[in-house]
Amino acid sequence: MDTSAEQRAKDLGASGNVPKIARDQHAGLLAGKLVLGLRKWWPYYVMMAPGIIFFLVLHYYPIWEAKIAFEQLRIIPPNIWVGLKHFQTLLASPIFYQVLLNTLIISGMKLIFVFPVPIMVALMLNEVRGGSLRKFIQSAIYLPHFLSWVVIAGIFIAALSPSDGAVNQITGFFGMAPVSYMTDSGSIRWVLVFSEIWRSAGWDSLLYLAAIIAIDQQLYDAAEMDGANRWQKILHVTIPGITPTIATIFILNAGMFLSADLNQVINFQNDVVRSQIDIVDTYVYRIGLQTGEYSLATAAGLFKAVMGMILILMAHLVSKRLTGKGVW
Amino acid sequence: MSGSNIRRTPLERIEYAIIVSTLLLLVVITVQPILNLLAVSLSDPKQVPGMGGLTVVPRGFSLDVWSLLIQNPNVLRGLGNSAFITIVGTLLSVIFTAMMAWGLSRPKLPGRRILFVMVLITIVFEPGMIPDFFVNKRLGLINTYWSLIFFKLVNAWYLIILIRFFEEVPEELLEAAELDGANAFQIFFKVVLPLAKPALATITLFYLVFRWNEFFRAMLYLNDQSMWPLQLVLRQFVVEGDKLAMVGVQNMNNYTGASQIDMRALKAGIILLTIAPVLLIYPLILKFFTKGTMSGALKG
Repeated sequence: MDTSAEQRAKDLGASGNVPKIARDQHAGLLAGKLVLGLRKWWPYYVMMAPGIIFFLVLHYYPIWEAKIAFEQLRIIPPNIWVGLKHFQTLLASPIFYQVLLNTLIISGMKLIFVFPVPIMVALMLNEVRGGSLRKFIQSAIYLPHFLSWVVIAGIFIAALSPSDGAVNQITGFFGMAPVSYMTDSGSIRWVLVFSEIWRSAGWDSLLYLAAIIAIDQQLYDAAEMDGANRWQKILHVTIPGITPTIATIFILNAGMFLSADLNQVINFQNDVVRSQIDIVDTYVYRIGLQTGEYSLATAAGLFKAVMGMILILMAHLVSKRLTGKGVW
Repeated sequence: MSGSNIRRTPLERIEYAIIVSTLLLLVVITVQPILNLLAVSLSDPKQVPGMGGLTVVPRGFSLDVWSLLIQNPNVLRGLGNSAFITIVGTLLSVIFTAMMAWGLSRPKLPGRRILFVMVLITIVFEPGMIPDFFVNKRLGLINTYWSLIFFKLVNAWYLIILIRFFEEVPEELLEAAELDGANAFQIFFKVVLPLAKPALATITLFYLVFRWNEFFRAMLYLNDQSMWPLQLVLRQFVVEGDKLAMVGVQNMNNYTGASQIDMRALKAGIILLTIAPVLLIYPLILKFFTKGTMSGALKG
């Protein structure tokens, strides 16, 4: 342990804080070092090769391919460079604005209504005294996280069915008329919110629970000495203790704002409610791979990617400033 | 903590009861829909139409739905396709991720920083599904299983998890192996990998679940329905409501009593069939994931 820490300190020194003269000498020795390095390090590069090739071919080649967003595709190459034409078309199209708005609304609803739930679940789980009771609850509520959105959509279609779904049975018991939530344009966004809660509230609480358990027990003992009750302890010890975790995860979610989860939405879409939950990604899929407007679709995807990148980088910087912990 | 049990006031007891019952309600909301599907799929087909969504007890008992499912060629093919993509994909993913993580975890590796940035950029910037599609087309991967196996072959997040783990491997151990005359490959496969078993198990489970659940890339890349993974067979039948996906090719009435099979029961069955492999490894997931996430915190 100690040696590796020393090692890391040395490495940091070598790359960062060394005076300029020393660094220039370093550069002069580079060629000789390369030969020595090659002899020592080639096995590592052989082992990393499949991974590196994967990243180059399936992550960087597509970045190059994204140039079709700036081109007019022709059946016989070469394609014609049209600059920002497709982006102008996009920004002039009311459908794109609707899609963007839908994405922001859905992401916003999730941030407000989904985000706090796992925190509350973790706070409650932490109060459970019996170890086996707690384990039982955890084993059950973590499960949905590991189910695909296709499966979850299937479960929700069954549970929300107007004729024999559990939800309408319960509301019917209170005298309410059955609603076909999956095909009701007023409900469908809430279906997204609740299905997201169903899927992730349990599993996401694990992160917060881990943070709670890491809080120094002495703080609780001291609070108890001062006569603090359950709520005072939660308010003054637990919540301050997990605030950095909350901040990090909040910011991370904010960085994903323009995604709104394609895998979820595409399984809850049908012709009746499409206009309510058509998001950027489903729009890209539809006009790109179903209608064949590749350039326009790529432009929309690229727009989302660039905005997403800005959001994530901002999130990373804010997180680093606030909590000293970045997104990665 | 046990001491405070004695000193509990009635108010605190009520609070505790509310907390526990809220959590138990959460458990019911999570598990009941799945149990309801199980009950529907195991009921006597004639009695399914009257069944509500709240019941978790089968009405009558029949395995008709399940025998229909395991005889259905589309379902069987879907199972086979999913199994192949999941197993081959996971194996390749784990070994390539581990090998790359090992290199990147060596602090003195030349080019380490550049490679690291290269990986981080892929997390931050994804050009989207259309360029991905075109690259797969260029490489001739459309309509092959490889298009799915190569998708996220090395997951950047799991790579980072493994790098962090490998960074903790004690230097002395590696030096000792080197003195014994082991080369870099032997050190990795014989010393490092066995040490990394818990971490490897964790990312293996991550990859297994991710690969089994993947459906969207299959929608993009596989035109040939006979190559579809189970998730897509399920999707066409349950989400898109296309009965042909299940029974179109054969005459439904060829099955004994098939005309009486309730579509709802059949849907319940195929949903459960798609969940089954996840349920099978779920105990392992609980063991590794929760331990992995919790133990780090517990030390503090």
